[in-house]
Amino acid sequence: MNQPFFSGGGGYSCLRFHPDLKDSLLPTMFLSKACSNVNSPGVDQEGDVAEAEAVADAEKETLTSSETDDWKKYRDDDIMQQHSAIQAEQAVKVPFVGDKEPLSSLEAEYHLGNSIVLKKIKVLSEQYAAIRRTRGDGNCFFRSFMFGYLEHILESQDHNEVQHIKANIEECKKTLQSLGYAEFTFEDFFALFLEQLDSVLQGSEDSISHDELLCRSRDPSISDYVVMFFRFVTSGEIRKRSEFFEPFILGLTNTSVEQFCKSAVEPMSEESDHVQIIALSDALGVPIRVVYLDRSSCENNSINVNHHDFIPTSREVGISDVSKTTNPPSITLLYRPGHYDILYPK
Amino acid sequence: MQASRARLFKEYKEVQREKTADPDIQLVCDDSNIFKWTALVKGPSETPYDGGVFQLAFSVPEQYPLQPPQVRFLTKIFHPNVHFKTGEICLDILKNAWSPAWTLQSVCRAIIALMAHPEADSPLNCDSGNLLRSGDIRGYQSMARMYTRLAAMPKKG
Repeated sequence: MNQPFFSGGGGYSCLRFHPDLKDSLLPTMFLSKACSNVNSPGVDQEGDVAEAEAVADAEKETLTSSETDDWKKYRDDDIMQQHSAIQAEQAVKVPFVGDKEPLSSLEAEYHLGNSIVLKKIKVLSEQYAAIRRTRGDGNCFFRSFMFGYLEHILESQDHNEVQHIKANIEECKKTLQSLGYAEFTFEDFFALFLEQLDSVLQGSEDSISHDELLCRSRDPSISDYVVMFFRFVTSGEIRKRSEFFEPFILGLTNTSVEQFCKSAVEPMSEESDHVQIIALSDALGVPIRVVYLDRSSCENNSINVNHHDFIPTSREVGISDVSKTTNPPSITLLYRPGHYDILYPK
Repeated sequence: MQASRARLFKEYKEVQREKTADPDIQLVCDDSNIFKWTALVKGPSETPYDGGVFQLAFSVPEQYPLQPPQVRFLTKIFHPNVHFKTGEICLDILKNAWSPAWTLQSVCRAIIALMAHPEADSPLNCDSGNLLRSGDIRGYQSMARMYTRLAAMPKKG
């Protein structure tokens, strides 16, 4: 029987040490979550984030009695309500998945910002034509991957790829079953993704257009279910290969693999890191390129934009797998500290 | 709405099928509303709640299972992580650590585990938490025992 990890306790302070929630209770009400800041125009975002982090750190250190008294006024329900209010505020500003924008819009965002970032965007613009933003709600990696992948299938009509991923999804289902997950807890999420996969292939009654795909990606009853599907797949892969993932997870959070999956992978709105990307890419057999945009630079002042290709460790080496290792991944995401968007090559 | 209904119906069937599997939990759906459930859970042995039967009320939101059910104790209980007046429960899986991998049944199991392992450092019932934190285990146990007898056990005679 699957006995999921849990921990008890909390009361008024139950959510206090969840960094996002804690910061939302500060009197200034700034949104410290990096995701929330990324889309404000004309600001040096990384500076903002760094500042927010510095303030948050200071808060942690100087936990005076008056602050703890302030927190006591808030009940869990109030905190959760405020959290959802902040999410609603974000929802008005950015849809789950935005429209395609030329890369110049990224440049405009930083026009008063850091010169290294601006130089890097110049370098990026030689290779990439456009960006599609996603909402900074903690699900941005999964949401970007969802749209990027389905759009790729819609445009390529690659039936072999669809067969390939379906076989992997079947494996994921078996993985979850063998880990003790009750099938009825995840089957709806799997079914909904398979439905989307079939509908982007043209030539059937249920086929959908690009506009309809965008529409569905913005509809929580579809979009959130697909995100949750990826979370199940990711969690299953990490737990199945827990020996492989354990050192990475220990380095990140100092918790057990199971605890990590229960607290940082399966719950919605928990942000994703390298570990989740490796697991998802491996489980589904889909390569992902992540391009890094930050303020780091080389010693000799040369400007490079780094990227990392997540290439699945293929379970069975088929023809499609071999071709994939030679071609760059079809899905490219832009990573800025704390947030993922979709990038389009020229 | 449709999705949550379908999921709850599956849980309902599972509960019917597994009725005897977990004798400590009796989970019942409201006759007319699948979004309202109640559960009777047995106090775990070797705790002051042993021998008591505690009633829980579930209110399931329309966004279930993406959002957690709201659960509270209807039976009075003296426990650091349960509000003494409202029965509100402080448990991370009912808040930010919720995921659809949980079910109403497994939430009941988590609550039974919470009864056996109180978290005194973040109390919702400060009196209870303070007794534990000051090391007065006997004081905590006798208070919890008294309320179990008063509220969670059948009256004699």
